[in-house]
Amino acid sequence: MASSISSSVLRLLSSPRILPNPSAFSSISAFLLPSRSLVFSSPISFQPLPKSPSLAGPLRAQQQQEEDQEATASIDVSLIPPKLRDIIALFQSVPEPKAKYQQLLHYGARLPPLDPAFKIDAYRVRGCVSQVWVRAFADPDDPAAVRFEADSDSALTKGLAALLVSGLSGSPATVIARVPPDFVQLLGLRQSLTPSRNNGFLNMLKLMQQKALQLYIEDAKAEKNKAIESETKGTGKVEKDPILDQEKAKEISRESLSPSNGSASPSISSVADKKDSSEIYGDGIGGRKKRIVVRLKQALSPVELEVKDVSYLHAGHAGVRGSADGETHFNVRAISKEFEGKSLVKRHRLIYDLLQEELQQGLHALSIDAKTPSEAQ
Amino acid sequence: MAASLCHFPPAVSSSSSLFVGSKSRSLLLAVSPFKHFPSKSSISASLPWTRSYAVSNDAAAFSVASPSDLRESPSLGEITRPDFPILRQVVNGFNLVYFDNAATSQKPSSVIKALSEYYELYNSNVHRGVHYLSAKATDAYEEARNKVANFVNAADRREIIFTRNATEAINLVAYSWGALNLRPGDEIVLTIAEHHSSIVPWQIVAKKTGAVLKYVELTKEVPDLDQFKGLLSKNTKLVVAHHVSNVLGSVLPIDEIVDWSHKVGAKVLVDACQSVPHMVVDVQKLNVDFLVASSHKMCGPTGAGFLYGKINLLSSMPPFLGGGEMITDVFQDYSTYAEPPSRFEAGTPAIAEAIGLGAAIDYLSSIGMEKIHNYEKKLSEYLYYQLSSVPNIHIYGPAPSDTVHRAALCAFNVDNIHPTDIATFLDEQHGVAVRSGHHCAQPLHRALGVNASARASLYFYNTKEEVDTFIQALKDTIEFFTTAA
Repeated sequence: MASSISSSVLRLLSSPRILPNPSAFSSISAFLLPSRSLVFSSPISFQPLPKSPSLAGPLRAQQQQEEDQEATASIDVSLIPPKLRDIIALFQSVPEPKAKYQQLLHYGARLPPLDPAFKIDAYRVRGCVSQVWVRAFADPDDPAAVRFEADSDSALTKGLAALLVSGLSGSPATVIARVPPDFVQLLGLRQSLTPSRNNGFLNMLKLMQQKALQLYIEDAKAEKNKAIESETKGTGKVEKDPILDQEKAKEISRESLSPSNGSASPSISSVADKKDSSEIYGDGIGGRKKRIVVRLKQALSPVELEVKDVSYLHAGHAGVRGSADGETHFNVRAISKEFEGKSLVKRHRLIYDLLQEELQQGLHALSIDAKTPSEAQ
Repeated sequence: MAASLCHFPPAVSSSSSLFVGSKSRSLLLAVSPFKHFPSKSSISASLPWTRSYAVSNDAAAFSVASPSDLRESPSLGEITRPDFPILRQVVNGFNLVYFDNAATSQKPSSVIKALSEYYELYNSNVHRGVHYLSAKATDAYEEARNKVANFVNAADRREIIFTRNATEAINLVAYSWGALNLRPGDEIVLTIAEHHSSIVPWQIVAKKTGAVLKYVELTKEVPDLDQFKGLLSKNTKLVVAHHVSNVLGSVLPIDEIVDWSHKVGAKVLVDACQSVPHMVVDVQKLNVDFLVASSHKMCGPTGAGFLYGKINLLSSMPPFLGGGEMITDVFQDYSTYAEPPSRFEAGTPAIAEAIGLGAAIDYLSSIGMEKIHNYEKKLSEYLYYQLSSVPNIHIYGPAPSDTVHRAALCAFNVDNIHPTDIATFLDEQHGVAVRSGHHCAQPLHRALGVNASARASLYFYNTKEEVDTFIQALKDTIEFFTTAA
């Protein structure tokens, strides 16, 4: 399977009409590959180009082609879920760029419209050229699988969104989080991979991975609490094991946010988003705890509420990178009437829902202790 | 059809393709519809491209040659193109059509040469040293200042302050003049069509000082001058206005605006980023108090821009950034400051860039701003009327005519197609570079009732043929999105 994709990549990129994205010019230093066939078999040696001031356009274009082949050769196809691989194969079977775009538009046209209730900031992908919304939720039939919904006012972006929604829906969060953004190069659409606020595709993928991860964390917590709940002799009192919680969070973050090209961006976008929200809240950096307190107070009217920033316990592991100023992990202890009649899972879900914005802007995990006033006695 | 002659075949990727650029250019000259172009300014019915012109004779036929000149003469675009090496390239298989000049302009070889010569021959810190190289660098740097002063006809060379760009220049005025002179209740009048760089610094300083921002709205997609006059009062301390709008293409009557503003005792800051590169701008004639422009929009390097300010104003303003260069004496607890322009040029300046700007001014002056302006006027009309012929299109801003001058740029939207889709397809499938988004003018787009627009903006090295290519490409793009949907 991998080799068939590789050889069709070769066919794709050797076609003279498909010249690569000129925006990549400046960022990649010049090199010459000894010959194309070596791309897939032996280690590549890089030679600096002879100093020629009049490097005309078309020669640079050739370089670009070779660089592209080099780049796509390094994509680990096994990290791409099967549905997405099928989509890639479909695009590769269509060599003409214009037809590819038509294909993309078809995908977009088939995407079911997003409920206007979700066309709000909480689901927006950051980027200034078109509006894109993405929503992730657990598959009702298979809680381990993540499903996505998306929409955009730009037809091409909608096509890309549809592609991602089709290709990623149904996969578990850990698989989704590992999908390398480079896969888009296999489609032959000349999509830039440079992280920037303008890169709709990259930002979409990052947001989907982030949301999938959040679902995973929520779900894992709920599972664990269910297990503990069934263990204790139904007194309603639940012992929170903060160390186990943190271990789980560490484990998830470590395995999914691998130091590949992909992980650079979530930190970039999450830091940038954080700055956005601080503008809105006017609190500046350091306001997260306050915001959590305010939010929970508003919604739960708790008898007792304690919010503690324990990010320092997680400083240094992959999940925290990029959120250098802490505020990634909190202990929340709340006693409120609102929890009455709600199972533990429902209580946790309630709190996570209230803190949606924070979760999108750098908050990684919560350790929750939610009791009703009667339980607290 | 003239348009099909302009659409070059995709480049061949062999080593002989090194010559594609020049080959295509000679192709252009060989089959150029220019050969058939009338030298008189009349619309001939036999010419294919004039058929799609709008009715009036105001849209004069495209001609640069004098009426009596019967041999075909190349346009300013054709003459100057060879000076810009970057334009000779193939993008996505098509010859590059660069229509994003309002964002940044391309640089002629002479400017690129000036930059590398500086570093190769006489790079040295300015104003500080005594040795040969530093004297040479200082001379070149100050000579660049003189060039800028002459270019905008400033009375005194000290009225030109080099900044990083126009945005920094506006911030300079906001933090220095603004912070000192604005009091609670003072009003700053801006138009809704201002660039973010002309709005945000004033929002920040207004918050600090208690001043209030008042906006001139649009009427028929241009700023409402009657409303503007109505907004002026004894509370108005500053008027911030663009000279040429980067979205609407409209031109404001700055001389009149300055007149009205001075009558109520308000100062005027003009954002001339889209005017200085394209026409003669005379600060004395306009009598503005402050004027800003960017080097990179006028064939100069990025990293340079300038603020023009009347010398008596600048002399009364406190420093913006502190550091070396802008001081006279430095003690432990306090320092005394230099006179303008040094007072506002802290630290080592962008020396090469300023010299590059000087070289750009030399280049522009060698062509002549009048000539550039006249050529662009015709290009603007051609672009506007050709675009108007595209179905379901809406172009923002005024229609050009004898009395209404419009810059050679068009921001537009096509019904039911997102501008980003248009810009992406134009680039990927036709090598045409336009911009899509809000062009740093979100309040304006909100006033126009849209999220974003596509914008094609031209400069004197663009040609009529490129406009034809663009229109053809745009029609193809629209067809693609309407049939594929």
